[in-house]
Amino acid sequence: MTMTEAQAIDTKYLNGNTKMIVENDTDEKITNLTTSTGSNFHIPPPAASRMKGGSANTKRRTVHAISNSIFVDNRNINATPKIIQDNNNNNKNAASSSSSNTFWKNENTNYFKFTFYKIVLAVLFFMFGIFRYCQLQYNKSKLKILDLLYNPSNTPQLIRQDVVKLNKIPSRLAAILEVKPIGDVGGGLKGILNDASELVCWTISAGVKHLSLYDYDGVLQKNTDELRNAIYEHLSIYYGPANVPNFAIRIPHFNKILYNTKVKGDIKSKVAIEVSLLSNRDGRETIVDLTRTMAELCSNKELNVNDITVDLVDTELKQLVGQEPDLLLYFGPSLDLQGYPPWHIRLTEFFWEEDNNQVTYSVFIRGLKQYAGCKVNVGK
Amino acid sequence: MSEESKIPGHYFVLSLLKNIFSRTLRASNNVPRHVGFIMDGNRRWARKNDIEVKDGHEAGFHSMSRILELCYEAGVDTATVFAFSIENFKRSKYEVDSLMDLAQRRIKQITENGELTDKYGIRVRVIGDISLLDKDVLLDIQHATERTKNNTRATLNICFPYTGREEVVHSMKDVITENYSPSEINEDLIDSHLYTGGLPPLDLLIRTSGVSRLSDFMIWQGSKKGVRIELLDCLWPEFGPLRMGWILLKFAFRKSYSNSKEVIDEDYEEEEEEEESVDKKKYI
Repeated sequence: MTMTEAQAIDTKYLNGNTKMIVENDTDEKITNLTTSTGSNFHIPPPAASRMKGGSANTKRRTVHAISNSIFVDNRNINATPKIIQDNNNNNKNAASSSSSNTFWKNENTNYFKFTFYKIVLAVLFFMFGIFRYCQLQYNKSKLKILDLLYNPSNTPQLIRQDVVKLNKIPSRLAAILEVKPIGDVGGGLKGILNDASELVCWTISAGVKHLSLYDYDGVLQKNTDELRNAIYEHLSIYYGPANVPNFAIRIPHFNKILYNTKVKGDIKSKVAIEVSLLSNRDGRETIVDLTRTMAELCSNKELNVNDITVDLVDTELKQLVGQEPDLLLYFGPSLDLQGYPPWHIRLTEFFWEEDNNQVTYSVFIRGLKQYAGCKVNVGK
Repeated sequence: MSEESKIPGHYFVLSLLKNIFSRTLRASNNVPRHVGFIMDGNRRWARKNDIEVKDGHEAGFHSMSRILELCYEAGVDTATVFAFSIENFKRSKYEVDSLMDLAQRRIKQITENGELTDKYGIRVRVIGDISLLDKDVLLDIQHATERTKNNTRATLNICFPYTGREEVVHSMKDVITENYSPSEINEDLIDSHLYTGGLPPLDLLIRTSGVSRLSDFMIWQGSKKGVRIELLDCLWPEFGPLRMGWILLKFAFRKSYSNSKEVIDEDYEEEEEEEESVDKKKYI
């Protein structure tokens, strides 16, 4: 199957899905999640911008970009103001270009010197580019071999066998997921739902009771029903349709809990896993909300400023967002926390594979292995 | 490294190379503006080499000053180093005292001899919950910061004693005591009341000794989207300018690559849109 075909299929799927989301919004309780989405006017979901682009059909662009970053450094200086106009929040470029421009003025650099450094830079970048290409290929083939070595083949017993060898497992696991461009493998809404439910299956099989799934835009939080169905389907593949383990999906931000079947009741007592869905909203914004509430309490003289301690904030945030995870898995090429709730990563162990882009079992199990070998010493 | 060599002119060539390299990086316009360091592994290094823990910390300090020199030369605006955690007070009294003593002497040395600070125009700040420190240490710190406060080209933040959570709570408290109306309280306000408020946002965070945790260092700043976190396997005293240069080169390469990719993607998108509109016109 060619890339374009895959893209076409995915586009179709996604278009179908966005419609579904909008429909859901109008008739169900999810209306309060996306406040401004009505049925009359269509606002694309926040992830839409990220689904554009993608690695399919972009070879020309990539080559263009690489050659630009090597050769067109002069342009970079002149072009930066343009970029700023395009996206105002990207003020990093503004400051860096102005600061270095002042540097070149201060030093009274002549044109010759400037050109010399530019040429050296081009050579350095060129060599680094070649090195980087080799490294990328090496990492990719390494990941492929690892994928072959660790293959769960949808059976909890095999995962169990892998985990039993470890001398400790995390009691709380977290994972950062990303919505990928629809053209890519495992992209679009379908991709992230699939990744999330696979992860839930592995986590249950490994015997970990708590899993936090984080995605920046909160796509999972907005598609809880689809997620619940996807998890249910995957679990019935792993455990057989007759004995699907009970699970609970918790969305701390909306204070909502969903169970695997629509009827609440007897299953409530015993769930095999609790999945929390987090988004960027649960991070800094929640701390800001807490500050706001505390400021109000203080102005009403119900709370003394000196009573606000790390412990107090900690208990509040634990209630609002949840506990700190022991291990955080990141399924991206290089570690970027993407706005994961900052309060909750104090002593969390991170694991990711260099240049990896897929949610695979090998990353999961290798993360657990690394965790088993680590030793935490607070301050000592 | 350079002292051991017996080749004449060796040191000169090395520093020349370093100079060219850092200026080249500077010309790329894409060096990180704010770098955070977790200097981990001094004690393990000392144990590994069978020397006293105190000497391990000394070696760590030397490696820090060499790395900072390279950073500032390459155009890094702000560096933040994690010198002492509030949790470190749990260590043995002897070690805490020697660490305090070392920090006190070094802060004095950095500012009074003025090698580093004057050459690069560095303003030294000590951030953290300084109320936990002894009086005489505090006095020295105040003295040192006073002396360099007029330097404007670069900043060195020494986190002493510091934890990220304490910083966030400190900022919250500041915001609350300044009586902002609830609608005025937002992320930027908290940001500006952190110890690092007003400085460029963190771009790069480096941790040594193969531990993949933040250990309560700059949790607010470091968890932001786009902050690059580098975890290295070597111990801090082994982390030299060579490796730092490599990381800076990597950073500059990726940044200028993604910058130009952005521009190109936009161009292509515009092109595609134009094509689409042309298509539409045809149909009309």
